[in-house]
Amino acid sequence: MREQDIDIVIVGGGGAGLRAAIAAAESARKEHRQQRIMLLSKVYPMRSHTVSAEGGAAAVTSEEDSLQAHFDDTVAGGDWLAEQGVVDYFIRHAHRELVQMERWGCPWSRKPDGSVQVRRFGGMKTARTWFAADKTGFHMLHTLFQTSLKYPEIERLDEYFVLDIAVVAGAVAGVIALEIATGELILLRAKSVILATGGAGRLFRFNTNAGIVTGDGMAMAFRHGVALRDMEFVQYHPTGLPGSGVLITEACRGEGGILVNKDGYRYLQDYGLGPETLLGHPQNKYMELGPRDKLSQAFWQEQQSGRTGKFGDSDVVYLDLRHLGKEYLHERLPFICELANVFINVDPVKEPIPIRPAVHYTMGGIETDAHCETRIKGLYAAGECASVGLHGANRLGSNSLSELLVFGRLAGEEASQRAATVTFADSTALKEQAQAQKIRIAKLYDAEGEENWVELKRELVLTMETGCGIYREVAGMQTTLDMIRDLQTRYRNIRLQDKSRAYNTELMQCLELGYGLDIAEATCLGALERKESRGAHKRLEEDLQQRDDVNYLKHSQVFFNAEGPAQLRWQDVDTHLSAPAERAYGDAGKGIKQ
Amino acid sequence: MAKRTSYFPELKRNWWLKHPYFKKYMAREATVLPLVFFLLCLLAGLYSLLQGAESWQGWLTFMQSPLVIAVNALAFIASLFHAWTFFQLFPRVMPLRAGGRTLPPNLMVLGQWFGVVVVMVLAAWIFMRGL
Amino acid sequence: MTTKRLSIQRYLPEQGNNTPYWQDFDIPFDDSTSVLDALNYVKEELDGSLSYRWSCRMAICGSCGVMVNNTPKLGCQSFLRDYEGPVKIAPLAHFPVEKDLIIDMGLFLDHLAAVQPYLINDSRLINDSEEGTETFKQTPAQMEKYKQFAGCINCGLCYSACPQFGLNPEFLGPAALTLAHRYNLDSRDQGKKQRMPQMNREEGVWSCTFVGFCSEVCPKNVDPAAAVNQGKVESAKDMLIGIFKG
Repeated sequence: MREQDIDIVIVGGGGAGLRAAIAAAESARKEHRQQRIMLLSKVYPMRSHTVSAEGGAAAVTSEEDSLQAHFDDTVAGGDWLAEQGVVDYFIRHAHRELVQMERWGCPWSRKPDGSVQVRRFGGMKTARTWFAADKTGFHMLHTLFQTSLKYPEIERLDEYFVLDIAVVAGAVAGVIALEIATGELILLRAKSVILATGGAGRLFRFNTNAGIVTGDGMAMAFRHGVALRDMEFVQYHPTGLPGSGVLITEACRGEGGILVNKDGYRYLQDYGLGPETLLGHPQNKYMELGPRDKLSQAFWQEQQSGRTGKFGDSDVVYLDLRHLGKEYLHERLPFICELANVFINVDPVKEPIPIRPAVHYTMGGIETDAHCETRIKGLYAAGECASVGLHGANRLGSNSLSELLVFGRLAGEEASQRAATVTFADSTALKEQAQAQKIRIAKLYDAEGEENWVELKRELVLTMETGCGIYREVAGMQTTLDMIRDLQTRYRNIRLQDKSRAYNTELMQCLELGYGLDIAEATCLGALERKESRGAHKRLEEDLQQRDDVNYLKHSQVFFNAEGPAQLRWQDVDTHLSAPAERAYGDAGKGIKQ
Repeated sequence: MAKRTSYFPELKRNWWLKHPYFKKYMAREATVLPLVFFLLCLLAGLYSLLQGAESWQGWLTFMQSPLVIAVNALAFIASLFHAWTFFQLFPRVMPLRAGGRTLPPNLMVLGQWFGVVVVMVLAAWIFMRGL
Repeated sequence: MTTKRLSIQRYLPEQGNNTPYWQDFDIPFDDSTSVLDALNYVKEELDGSLSYRWSCRMAICGSCGVMVNNTPKLGCQSFLRDYEGPVKIAPLAHFPVEKDLIIDMGLFLDHLAAVQPYLINDSRLINDSEEGTETFKQTPAQMEKYKQFAGCINCGLCYSACPQFGLNPEFLGPAALTLAHRYNLDSRDQGKKQRMPQMNREEGVWSCTFVGFCSEVCPKNVDPAAAVNQGKVESAKDMLIGIFKG
């Protein structure tokens, strides 16, 4: 097995991973430290899922806006389950990071005078979302990747699948990875490890996510005793294309798009988001600019009442952009026009786009402190895989692109700092752990079981959708949890068709499924135990439809248990800056301090 | 490190026959052949002019042979075809800007054809006057 | 449901097949079935050993480039309904093939990195200061000059469309040269001088003979052929200036 000593290992080459790598390199330069930084990713960095983000990145920008307003929007948007100290840090640093992106060449859309343009986004009191047309994630990711090429100290191992982190005496000691091109294992001894492995939207059948968004990093930390926190909060994006689930950005509504049901009626006014705003005059926090959880829930209600239309097999509502006109649409939303044309043969200039909610984002993740460090010393997490505590029970659109910059950077700086003060762990213990991984892979190759990963995966994503969808109730969740545990057992009896070493993509998908089953259990367990409705977690039982601050103003923490079912604990929430209040939008939100 | 066993498909000499687009490209490039013939004719004409009247008469006879006329007609068509492809590409290579906006490509293509017509008319006028 | 025949080029050196061969699969399809969907169907239902890259399935990550009937395409963006008769799927041309539809992208990435594809500007990095809040000014008109060329998703289709790259893999190629040009055109950038030596090389812009197929196959309408040939104009100017300066 190849071995290397690397000061800082970063797992994941998306926005957070690349930002962390650059920050670590900058920190090391500033402090005159000689540090090796290695970025591992199971795909080439520019393939990472950050690339699919469309709408934009939030930061307080205009004169009329205030840090307090962004703080309030985020905390209320998260239904008071966000860590308020973390939110405070975030809103103070978001703008600086977006400016930094600009200085690295990111083509943010501009006003005629050459300054940066902002747009409206759901749940935000005012326009504060920076954007690069409707390909913001694409431009950010490529800007970060290209900028990373400027730093010779950032080394990369592209298409390396990290199998596990190595932990010695409560501190991180390295990672063990598989070179996809050859099937060989490599052991990287490290002083700091940053997980930036993205979310787990692929646990659900209908989602907006790329195939790689399988939550591997979450499961690795989880298996080493780090809590997965707030996993029950899964964001359904209200506007995905029927069939594929391809994302249609919230910016469509920010620019003035409206949602109508099959009767052409703007149904959101019936769900506490009204009154109806004038066509072409979107108003922040009203109607289509409500938060994502509320909008997806409204869709579900319309569907139950039979007021949704049909597109193929899907129940849909319609996103109407026609009044914005061809020129404006092609300037602000060119990618959306392209996607709608290619995937469902609809021209948004001429027809409303049929859409339906799709799983989009994992609010929960690897529990970290406010400095991105997990309970394993030297192990950091940033971006969607992490639960630093920014989003609470529901993320506001355009907060996550800013998050991966702010916390990617923080993680990178902290990791560099730590690497300067500690030594490498003893390699004997590390080699044992690497050997265990080698055996695990060998067993998978040799296994002669009857189960097939395709079947297991299908059952998993279906049961997650049924049991942990937009609305949840106890029987459904219990069935799903039982099913997941059954699938975990069946997984041990799996068999690979492809026995080759090089580019064994079947092996990858098998491993991803194994990680996914763990995360699914944590998600479902959190959902089952949270006996209230908050943010994206909506219960159907009559007595659980309200928020319950007395019992559940708490983070859920799920712990791995090698011997049996995962364990759940509750953790207090930091609410020292803003006491929980009523969360309301539309006219109902008027006068409430938000 | 395990050896990677790559297969590298070599590009064969007839690569351009594998796709219609490449055939069109080769046709564009091949326009040079009749044009070279035309240029050689022109050079031969100049040379024979220097050699005296007999030589010049010989050249004229040569130029009037049907085959030579056919090849030169082909050269004329080929040069128009080449000009057409070139004019199409020009706006992409040299996007002209006026008043902060890029000129529409169609306008630039039209402008170039207009230039061709002007040159032709001018040449015709000079020759007609000479006769 | 109707089916369509897919002929997929397989290459499995570990199984002792040192030359590629074709394998046929019949795929049920409807109006929405993409080539990528078809490949996924093969992998999940018919042959788990088929290897190919994919990720976003919305034509933005650039992973799933393959040759469809001899033309480079993104699998997720090509639909079976658009093809009469059987569909031939092969790995992207002009790259070394590693396994089935997976090519070695290493050289492509080297070429990208060679052109210094990042903003070069002497003004102090604000990363150093806690309170830096100044962005550069750039008007929409200034941005318009390079915006199109910033749309490259690095899928590599243009390299498979470029016979010059096929004949000489040292040619920097359409995507890398486009990226260089993108930064050269950026009003915030001061790095043109550093990039020109790469552009001026024989393997830089001058290997291009304006076949133009790269722009034809580009799934994002980046028009790399335009960028490369604008690069020739720049390169010519740069070399002329160099001569006059001695």
